Amino acid sequence: MAYFLELLVNGALTGLMYSLAALGFVLIYKASGVPNLAQGAMVMAAAYVVWFFTSLGLSVWLAIPLGVATMFLFGLMTERVLLRRMVGQPVIMVVMLTLGMEIVLRGLVPGFLGAAPKPLDIGIGLAPVIIGDVFINREYLVGGVLALALIGGSMLFFRTRTGTKMRAVSDDHVASWAVGLSVERVIGLSWGIAGIAAVGAGTLWGAVQGVDWTLSGLLFPAVAVVILGGVDSITGVLVGGLLVGILGSVIPGYLDSYAGGSTRDVVTSLIILVTIVFRPYGIFGREDIERI
Amino acid sequence: MFYRLSGIHHTRYESARALWPVPADRWQVVALAVLALAAPLFVSNLYLGSYILPWLIWAAAALSLSLLMGLAGQLHFGFAAVMAIGAYSSIHLVRAGVPFELALLGAGVVSALIGTVFGAAALRVKGLYLVMATLAMQYLVDWVIINVPAISGGAQATLRTPAVSFLGLPISTLIERYYFALGWAVLITLFFMNVKRTSFGRALVAIRDKDFAAAVIGVDPFRYKLMAFLTSSFIGGVTGAVLAFCYYRAVTPEQFSFNVSIQLVAMVLVGGLGSAIGGYLGAGFVLLVPIFLTNFIAGLGESGWIYISQNLMAHLPLIFYGAMIIGFLLLEPLGLAKIYDNIRKALLVWPFRHSRS
Amino acid sequence: MKWFTRTAGMAAIAAAMTAGGAVAQDNTIRFGLLQDFTAVYTFVTGEYNQGQRDYLTLVNQEGGIDGHTFNAIVRDTGNQPQRGIEAYNRAREEGAILFDFLSTPVSRALVDQVLQDEVVLITPLHGRGDASDGTTFPYVFPMMATYWSQATILAQYLKDNGGLDGKKIAVVHIDSPFGREPIPVLEALAEDEGFELRAFPYASPGNEQSATWSEVRRYRPDAVFIWGAGGGQSVSVREGIRNGIPAENIYSVVWLAETDAANVGADVMTGVHRYEAVATGTDLPILQRIQEQVIDAGLGAGDAAAVGSTYYNIGVATMAVAVEAARLALEHEGAPLDGAKLKAGFERIENFDAEGLMPPITITAEDHQGGGFGRVSQWNGTAWEPVSDWFAAYQDVVREEIEQGAAEYAGGN
Repeated sequence: MAYFLELLVNGALTGLMYSLAALGFVLIYKASGVPNLAQGAMVMAAAYVVWFFTSLGLSVWLAIPLGVATMFLFGLMTERVLLRRMVGQPVIMVVMLTLGMEIVLRGLVPGFLGAAPKPLDIGIGLAPVIIGDVFINREYLVGGVLALALIGGSMLFFRTRTGTKMRAVSDDHVASWAVGLSVERVIGLSWGIAGIAAVGAGTLWGAVQGVDWTLSGLLFPAVAVVILGGVDSITGVLVGGLLVGILGSVIPGYLDSYAGGSTRDVVTSLIILVTIVFRPYGIFGREDIERI
Repeated sequence: MFYRLSGIHHTRYESARALWPVPADRWQVVALAVLALAAPLFVSNLYLGSYILPWLIWAAAALSLSLLMGLAGQLHFGFAAVMAIGAYSSIHLVRAGVPFELALLGAGVVSALIGTVFGAAALRVKGLYLVMATLAMQYLVDWVIINVPAISGGAQATLRTPAVSFLGLPISTLIERYYFALGWAVLITLFFMNVKRTSFGRALVAIRDKDFAAAVIGVDPFRYKLMAFLTSSFIGGVTGAVLAFCYYRAVTPEQFSFNVSIQLVAMVLVGGLGSAIGGYLGAGFVLLVPIFLTNFIAGLGESGWIYISQNLMAHLPLIFYGAMIIGFLLLEPLGLAKIYDNIRKALLVWPFRHSRS
Repeated sequence: MKWFTRTAGMAAIAAAMTAGGAVAQDNTIRFGLLQDFTAVYTFVTGEYNQGQRDYLTLVNQEGGIDGHTFNAIVRDTGNQPQRGIEAYNRAREEGAILFDFLSTPVSRALVDQVLQDEVVLITPLHGRGDASDGTTFPYVFPMMATYWSQATILAQYLKDNGGLDGKKIAVVHIDSPFGREPIPVLEALAEDEGFELRAFPYASPGNEQSATWSEVRRYRPDAVFIWGAGGGQSVSVREGIRNGIPAENIYSVVWLAETDAANVGADVMTGVHRYEAVATGTDLPILQRIQEQVIDAGLGAGDAAAVGSTYYNIGVATMAVAVEAARLALEHEGAPLDGAKLKAGFERIENFDAEGLMPPITITAEDHQGGGFGRVSQWNGTAWEPVSDWFAAYQDVVREEIEQGAAEYAGGN
């Protein structure tokens, strides 16, 4: 039982950290309908940026705000320079463009800042939080709480004036234009916030595994999270993250010894497949109604 | 001037529907065919074996994916897995004593069956969701290959291709392998160019443009979507087998990883969706540009033109390659095939700027 | 048409011959270091390749070998076999006679080609372990302990320090062929030595292993072998320590270095053991000379801070062996060198330890592993400290595994 609880809690917390990586994806998709497959690379870039500022001798608490500022600007720039020109193109072109971005970032960031893994210490001790016989990973605990806070913050943000504009834009671009909203600015803002979310994910995962290009591999669990939760739902990110994390921890915890290999990728793939076959728009996603 | 159009008047439907109605195009095709056939005579082994041979095979792979993505409009981000199924089944079939000719067919059939299961997702969803579903399939197939030693070839996870012969001709030296791959690429190209002119091809295009509308005019989306996956996976599987036997000759799971799927999609998109020449141009771009860039930048470094660290030097090709993909998408979303088409159209009327029509 | 093909063919042959002749003329020995700088092996390639090139520069600075200088052709392959094949063919045309891909997929894809072309392929700490069988793989030289030998050395160390009988050993490994490699050998040892063995796979690339370690903790192992690479290794160490496994009981494959210690936290990792193929640090004659003649002279191939690090020294050691082989080949076989002569040179290497940098290795026509030596070292908070002498262990078991693999290869796979 303690074993199950431990798998459950740690799985839920890692799941929350996955949702942090997925949050940016959802924000951008919600605002502009662009599936940003470069979100993993943005997480990597954010982690590198934070590491870069700490390597200049800055404390990590100064490096993170600087990283937030950098990545916010980066998000804005990306939207302005690249994505805005792709408006009206088929989704596959946009997907390919974000994949192209991923390749560029994979070259640019490790190329200039060094490909070997970098340490990023954010001062969370190694000692686990022990409750009974359940060991809870302290990094995941901090990460999970922070992820909750950031996701909650985004939910609240959608209740502000700017957030309302964002909801309007995500509902209907043309109608938003008609009532005088700047659709471009709102979409740009969503990229900026995605950049901020990437700093959160990058810092936490960078602290866990070290900073190198493999951080961009977070895209795969993030995709599972958004598919399960619904690509355009913030609540979906939260619930999807929890489910992906828990299933990806509990099932391998019991099955791996028998399967003779790690089944986590299988679980993640199956989550994606089953969701798409049975409920393509995810748990909380909005069902698209298509007209001929 | 280069393309003489005077005197081309079609009096029969057959001639109007010919693949290359303009003589200049026909001459180009003939010239290319002669060059390709004579390539082993004037191309060094380095370029034949590491550039042209993989280019042909990847072009065939890109065409089979283009059939699915370009004609039928079904996105597929797990095509490397389909090719892997073909490669592994062909090797295991040949090992089991099946003749190579039949093993190729068998590889196609196995890939087509499993690939159609991939396609089952397409009956439910499209666009982004189809991308994700096929991506998940890719991971599943990878996992099975890596975790079942009987498939991947034991502890070393390497499967060597046995010596084979096709219709009595051995396929072992570079030249033999080149001609075999060339034959396959030509076959696929002809198939691809002609399928567009059949009712099957037109039905696929109807589905791509709007599946509901296609259903209204009597094209069954269920059937044709599955047919598209079936055909494309069959060709993809055989191409995977050709890749294994003619190029790699020792198959490891990494040769068909997720990155390869992405490269295949890039080939199709950069080349131009649904275009035969685009398949070749796209495959050439994705396969050869990183290699050229690596050699070019390393050459610059060695001759002392640039002073940068080895780390940056190794990453520069990646940056330029990604930037070129982005650049093509921004400047010419229809791909290299469209650029070719623009040039051809300009030459059609050259030295004038516009044609009358 | 016929005259055209004939002339064209003749011209091509003539061109090929002049190109080949031009390469054989000069006194430069070319090595193709066609490695993965941008994908899976980034955690090691930078320092490893830097060490290799710095050593070759050192040899050239000291006047070369018998009037011959060394030249490294360095290219990135991105761990992609098709780029590896291109880089290999190009480098071979440029006259390279020795190749090092530092990438298991690329090495595996090219083994057949290398055997056919009769050039030397070194596969230190990667590639096929069964290539240690020199009779089946005459041109492939693992030349350092294979993963099998690394596992047996760690097991022997445990046996010498507390015994193995009745102990529980957990192998926490990445779920890939590389991660599973030590298991058959360890299973054989478990039967002979009477210890209990259990494998715990985690999903690649290993950035998240908490579920695996929850299970490991409940197994209550006496020792844990961690078998992964790159970022996954530091995650393994952290998770192990977090789950209450004493750092001293964690034993790592060769892929654990200073960068991982920095990631884990240098003081936290104190006590962790690892297999070590090559001595670490700059306190070695070769490293001193590199420092003086290469780094201080401004000829270094990269960041001077990396000199003396684990992977840097491994790179130096690989080239030290290769240059020694070239020296022996020049001495016994004569110039100009080609792949076959260099191979013969490798097989003449006897008790070569690169002035204390590495264990004394002896390569014979049968044994291309060089004896399977290594030692165990321990992180002391600032550096890796050897806790055993160089030794090899259970080579009969390893040999069995090698021969079994080689027999399978010879049989067509």
